[in-house]
This record gives sequence, C-alpha cells and structure tokens, in this order.
Amino acid sequence: MATKGEGRIMKRALGLMVIVASLVAVASVVGAATAAPAKKQDTSLSGAGSSFVFPLISKWIPALGSAYGYNVSYSPIGSGGGIAAITAKTVDFGATDAPLTKDQFAACKGCVEVPWALSATAIMYNLPGINCVLRLGGKQLSDIYLGNLTKWNDPRIAGNNGKCNLPDTKITAVYRSDNSGTTYNFTEYLAAVSPTWKSKLGVGVNAQWPAGLGARGSSGVAGVITKTPGSIGYADVAYALKNKIRFASVLNASGRYATPGLRGIQAAAATLPAKVTSEDGALSIVNPPKGNPLAYPISTFTYVVVPSGSSKAAELKKMVYWAVTQGQKFGPALLFQPLPKQVQAFAYKQIKKI
Amino acid sequence: MSTVTPDPLAPAPIDRQGIRLGDVLFKGIAFVAAVGVTAVLGLLTYEVFSLAWPAIEEFRLSFIWTQGWNPNSNVYGALVFIYGTIVTSVIALLLATPLSIAIALFLTEIAPGRVAAPIATMVELLAAIPSVVLGLWGILVFGPWVANHLEPFLNTWFGFLPIFSGDPSQAGILPAALVLTIMIIPITSAICRELFSRVPRDLSDGSLALGSTRWEAIRRVAIPYAAPGISAAVLLGLGRAFGEAIAVTQVIGSGNTINESLFPPGDTLGSRIASSYIGASTAIEAQSLLYLAAILLVISLVTNVSAQAIVNRFQKARRMSTG
Amino acid sequence: MSSAQIIDPYDITASSNNLGRRRRIQKLVSLLAILSAAFAVALLALVLGTVLFKGLSQIDTAFFTKPAALFGEKGGIADALIGSALIVGMAMIMAVPIAILVAIYIAEYAGPKAASFFRVMLDVLNGVPAIIVGIFIYGLLVVGKGQSAIYGAMALAILMIPMVARATQEILELVPRHLREASLALGVPRWRTVYSIVLPTAIGGILTGVVIAVARVAGETAPLLFTSSITQNQISFNVDEALPTLPVRIFTLSESPSPDDQAAAWAAALVLIAFVLAMNIMAKVIANRKRKSLEGG
Repeated sequence: MATKGEGRIMKRALGLMVIVASLVAVASVVGAATAAPAKKQDTSLSGAGSSFVFPLISKWIPALGSAYGYNVSYSPIGSGGGIAAITAKTVDFGATDAPLTKDQFAACKGCVEVPWALSATAIMYNLPGINCVLRLGGKQLSDIYLGNLTKWNDPRIAGNNGKCNLPDTKITAVYRSDNSGTTYNFTEYLAAVSPTWKSKLGVGVNAQWPAGLGARGSSGVAGVITKTPGSIGYADVAYALKNKIRFASVLNASGRYATPGLRGIQAAAATLPAKVTSEDGALSIVNPPKGNPLAYPISTFTYVVVPSGSSKAAELKKMVYWAVTQGQKFGPALLFQPLPKQVQAFAYKQIKKI
Repeated sequence: MSTVTPDPLAPAPIDRQGIRLGDVLFKGIAFVAAVGVTAVLGLLTYEVFSLAWPAIEEFRLSFIWTQGWNPNSNVYGALVFIYGTIVTSVIALLLATPLSIAIALFLTEIAPGRVAAPIATMVELLAAIPSVVLGLWGILVFGPWVANHLEPFLNTWFGFLPIFSGDPSQAGILPAALVLTIMIIPITSAICRELFSRVPRDLSDGSLALGSTRWEAIRRVAIPYAAPGISAAVLLGLGRAFGEAIAVTQVIGSGNTINESLFPPGDTLGSRIASSYIGASTAIEAQSLLYLAAILLVISLVTNVSAQAIVNRFQKARRMSTG
Repeated sequence: MSSAQIIDPYDITASSNNLGRRRRIQKLVSLLAILSAAFAVALLALVLGTVLFKGLSQIDTAFFTKPAALFGEKGGIADALIGSALIVGMAMIMAVPIAILVAIYIAEYAGPKAASFFRVMLDVLNGVPAIIVGIFIYGLLVVGKGQSAIYGAMALAILMIPMVARATQEILELVPRHLREASLALGVPRWRTVYSIVLPTAIGGILTGVVIAVARVAGETAPLLFTSSITQNQISFNVDEALPTLPVRIFTLSESPSPDDQAAAWAAALVLIAFVLAMNIMAKVIANRKRKSLEGG
C-alpha cells in the first residue's frame, strides 16, 4: 500500500528539513563566532529615531562599547518614529531633531530632552554637468516646494546663479514621507523667511506637500536624489558628503549665501546667548538675525529623549554625558559641530533630571 | 509515525470508555483550534476598529471623502489613498485579466503537455517572488525605465489623454500599478487555468464537431462555462492588489494629491500605513492611520467574501446540473 | 505551438464561406496566447536574472558572517539570516500544529454546515492584508512592551495558519474513504484512525502545504515592519528583542543612495529568492513523489 512509500517520503522530507536547519545553525554559529564581539557586553541600550544624527551615532556605538562596555543599538527610523517609540517605551532612548511639543511631553510622561549634537540640513541637488555651487534663498525653496517654481532655468533661480548655466529641466522636489526632524528644521526656516509658506504649510515634522516626491528617511531622500536628475532635497549634510551629492549655499538674514560647513554651523550657534535656558530643553538657531554673515540658516541642535526614572537611568545618564563631552570629538569629520560651552552646561543640567 | 502504521492490523482490546474519552478529547482540541482561528479573525477586526475609534469618532464618515493629510493642523482624510488604492488595483486588473486568460488558454488548449507543465511552473514561481524583492527591482531598475522610456513613449503617442500627460516620474501611480500587475498575473492565471481544464471535453468537442474553429469553441463554450470562476479569480486578484503594501511603498512616491495623470506620485491605503505608522508622532495621527487600516480591512474582506460567494454559487450550480 | 497544432481537422466539415477569416482569427488568438505566456516567462527571467546578476558578484564569506553596516560602512546579512531563521522557525512551530488541528476538525469531525463555515473563515483570514496583521499584533502586544522576534513570529503564524490549514484539509479529504472505514470497522477509535492512518497517508500533501507557506512568509515584510524592525546592530539570538530579518533589511537598503547598500540589497534579495525557490521546488518534488507512490501503489 501507499503507506510504505509515504513513510519513505516523510523521512526524506524530514531529512531535507534537518539539513536545512543544520545549515542555518552552522551559518549562525560561524557568524556568531566570527562577528560577535569577543567580550561579553552586559548593558544593552536600544534607541531609535532621527536619521539626521545617525552618522554621528554610528561612530559613537563602537566607542561606547569600548569605553563602558555598553551595547548600544540604534535604528534610524525618523524623528517621528523616535518620539513614538520613546512615548510607547519600546526603546530605551529616542532621538529627534524636532523638539517635543507640549502634548508630546505630556504623552511621554516625564521624558527629559537633552541637546546632544549640532549640525545642518543641507539642500542637496542633482544637476548632471553643472559644476558650480548653487545659491538658493528661502523664497525660491519655498516656491519650489509649493510647486510654483518648476524649471531650473526659471529667472527666479537663474538670476542668482548667472555663471551656472542652468538647464531647462523640471525640478523634482524630494521631501520626507515619514515624520522627520529634518523636515521640522527645513520648514522652520521656510516659515521664517516666507509668509506664504507659514500660512500655507506651516512648521512641523511633516507637511501636506502639494508637489514633489516622497522618500523614507534621510537615506531615502539621498537615494531618490542620486537617482533623479533635476531633483532637489534636504537631509543632514553628512549624507551629502558620504554620497558625494552636491549641496547649495543658502541665503541667511545678513544677505549672504552660507554653506553648511563647520564654520557656518558654528556661526549660527554663536548667536545663542551666553547662558541658555529653556524649560523643555529646546533651542533654536534657525535663520539667526543679521550680523552673522557666515551663519548657515538651516542649522539645528538635535536631541536625545530619555525617560526619567527608568531602570536603566544610570547607564543612560552615563551614555548621554559621554555623548555631549567625549562624543563631540567624532563630529567634525561628519560636519557635526561640537556643542558650544553654554549648551554643554545646559545639557549637564538636563542630564541631572534623568 | 511509521511505527504506528501497523497498529490497526492488530488492535489491542480497547475499552469503550477509552474510545469515547480519546475521541471526545481529540475532537474537543480540534474544535477549539478551529474556533480559536475564527476568534483571531474577530479579534483582529475588533482590535483595528477599537484602536481607530478615536479617529472614527473625530472625523466620522466624512474622513472617507476628505482630501488632505496634514499632521501640523491635524487634518486627516482618506480620499487620496482610497483613490490611489483603487486606481492602481484597477489598472493592474485591467492589464492582468486578459493576460491571465490568454496564458491559461495557452497552457490548457494550445501547448502540448510537455511544454505546458514547465511553463505553468514558471508562471507559478512568479508568485513566489517576495514582494520586497519585486519592490527592490521596481525602485532600482523598473522605475527608472518607466521614467526614461515608457512614460515618454506614452506621452508622445497618447499624451492627448489626460492620464498620460505631464512629466515622467520614476515613482508614481503607473509604476505601482505595473508592479501590482506582475504580482496578480500568477494568481489569476492559475485559477483560470484550473477553470479551463475543468471544462467538460464533450462540450468543446461537440462544438468542434459542428465546425467551429478551436477559438470559437473556446469563446462559445469554455469562456461562458468558466465565466463565474473568472470573475472570482479577478476578485481574488483585486483583493491581493488592495492589500499589497511593501512593493507599492517602494515605487509609488508618497504623493499627497490626486492627479489626472498616472505619472505623478500617489499613495495607497497600504503604502501610507507602511511608510508612516511607525513614525506617527501624535495619537490622532496614529489613530487616523488605523482608520485607513480599518477601511482597507473592510475593502479586503468585502472583496474576498464576494469572491467566495461566487465560487460557492458556481459550485452549487454545477453540482445541480451534473447531479 | 507549431501551426499544425492550430489547424483543426474538424474545420473540413465547416460549410461557411468565411473560413479563411475564421482561421486567421484562430491563428491570431493562438499567437496572442503564446505571446502572453512568453511575456510572463520573460518577466520571471528578467527579475530573477537581474537579482542573480547584481547579487552574485557581492556574495562572499564576509557577507554571510558580518552583521548590518552602520552609517557609511559595508555590511553583511549574518544578523538578518539568524533573525529570519528564528522568526520563521518560531512561526512554523506556532502555526503548523494549530493549522493541522483545524484541518482535522473540518475534514473529520465537522458537519457540512460547520465545515463550510470554517472553510470560509480560513479563506477570509487568508485574505486579510499582511500589513493589517502587523498592525493587529502591534496594537495588541507591541505597544507598551516593545518589539520582539516572538511578536513577529506570531504575526507570520497568523498568515501561515489559513494557508497550511486549507492545504491540509483539502489533502485530508482526498484520503480514500475505505482506509478510514477499514480502520474504524476494526474497532480503532476515530482519533487513532486519524493519527495513524489518515495523517501518515496525507503527510506528503501536508508537507507541501507547510513548505509553500514557509516560503511565502519568509518573504513577508509588512508584518515585521511593526513587530521586529527596531533592531540591534549586531548578531543576536535573543528572541525577546526585535531581530533583523532579510525582507526588512532589503526594504531598508533598497532606498539607500549608497552603491554599497544597493549591492547588499541585491545580494540579500538573491539569498532570499534562492531560499524561496528552493522551498517551492522542494514542495513540487514532495508532491510529485506522493503522486507517483500513490499511482505505483
């Protein structure tokens, strides 16, 4: 009868499964043996949020491992995701470039916000064959993202960029589809310089984009820009550096076009008062006032959000303290400007609340 | 288990109590499993609706025809995503249905058995490609091809139609619809093939004997015979297209507007949930996304249940005609 | 496929005067059908070929032994392989026994009304979009407790159950009546008949169903996006934490601007597709063997 043959088939099938399973097991063990760090790390700290700060955190993770033996993990899911994750307490810390709103603080129940890095949002573009640095003002950027300015050779852009010989191609504005602190930084600047923007789209971690193309994460924005000739978009300047994407110099309040380099960021941060106070930990250096000709207008502090009184409070305190002190020296290579003294002092005060 | 097989040949004396207890127990466990799976379906529906409830109360049914998604001013509406879902799925269906029927006819009526079997397997394997891999191919290979070749071509020759007007874009409604087409061809063609192979031979032979060409026999006999089944296959394909989130997210470009043209970015219910839910930073935004999920769930359930109903009626009618 | 195939001997009896036109239509339709089939096969070849071509050159030992990259480095998929194996394995352990029990209830115990009710329920559950299953588990378990590989496995198990249960139930109903009747007539209780006669006879079909379902869920991204996506940046076997998986990794890498990341995405896709296709071929082999052994016996 069939049963005998069935038994054989069953055995063979089981045999196959065993082979597959053992292959997986061998692969895992080999993988673990070669790749897992030799020493056992005790404390694991998981974080998620801002993709803006991810380049810097990537440098911190191995350093924190060797300094304290902490096993830090970080997922760049966007600032909105970071706020959501720390509010739901699904991670040990969240990271965001957009300061928490009052409602978000209330929902987060005793969260502490500490500024822990400083950098700039670059305006990146992909114009094959154009080798000069584009100069853009907030008005043009606002018009591009509102869908009112659609060609690169439009006089509103070409007027400031006479030498660039801009082509007659369509502008594709690339925005973040997920909730993003970079978007907050960008829209804060646009709202500061363009009343139309302020009334139509406002400031926030997202907007009701009327035109353009959406992408997930800073990496996604950079990805779409590299693939799309004629596109323009915004992300932390480290993404532009790493992926060799050109970025524009942007008009500041002094009427000068500034670049998102360390000097531009430093000049923007220099407009902070000698002693900073902020009830919730938020600091803004977007579009600093006249008299700072070098200041890059779309610079931002980025924050870590930590619950107070968590079971890992001691480790989190140590990690954040390390980040705002020793961690800062990893910044300049990625165009993260070390925190100014007064902000560092302010961060210490915030850390105490953890 | 093979050692147990000879058991029935030499049954041990069994007391009736044991029989009943064993049977009752086993039946009971199996019944609990069946009820449990049904309960999961109920719980899932309940959970999605109860999580979405604050948004449903806040926006009521007008959510469905409101256009807009603005986390800054807490204006949320589903129209753009319902539009995107329906347009991408319907285009996919319009393209996939005739192709699937033609593939099924080829496999059952034209190709000799030796050729048909491997080709049928290959079409089935198309369904086995994970959607995220199709999305990867879509985002890096297919999307750029659509923007550089297909859309300019459509625009040049059919640009007078509003749906093919405007600038090409490598992420948009059209590439999403085409990726969905690839996904549903294997589903609908497999069902159509099954249907055609079940057409009674004597019916088509009779038609051929009366002087029809083979195509006429198919058109007059096989297709009418299989029509209800084909409509069920179409609905099942539609259900698949409605629910696909990942590959669509990768190629649709997260647009916020409804456009006449198929070129610009849009978003579907599934793709908006996939791209935004993990990052929803206020309660009302998360609840609004869950409202989208509730709409998607209802659409999917209605589509699938209708397909089942057609299949059941079809089977009943056939049973009556043969029995 | 040859034209000899298309010309129909019965046409000789046709008396109409437009025979030529009708034959041309017949030829045209045949041609369209052939082209459609060729198109589908070409699509498969195109996608698989691209993945193979772009992925193969990236695959080396480091790719299988290194975990994901941090910003700006080149990484491997060791962590994602382990995560996928653990999550899919756990999903299988959760889903298969339940699915087989459900199938047994429908095929062996339920009356016709109950059987058709549960069949419809399984089909409806099978039609629930994967992303909704992810949201369901997120809302039920992840909120407040955090993501974990176990929750990911639960989401995949919910997708697997209807697939395996329907396949099993159909195969159970194909088991010849006389086998059951002979066993029952000998006084063997029903549950032992099911366990020692019906299930062993149907094991080939059940395995086919399980293997196909495993192949399906191994490529699922949407449910894992909400249940197991905020992950470690190193190799971990801890199923209480979220673990990276191949599909989620491909999803993330596919959007990256970096050529290294895109290359890694293709290579990871190649590994995933190879696994899925191997599983499908294995299912075919099991199904064929079963048919042969039944025919031979």
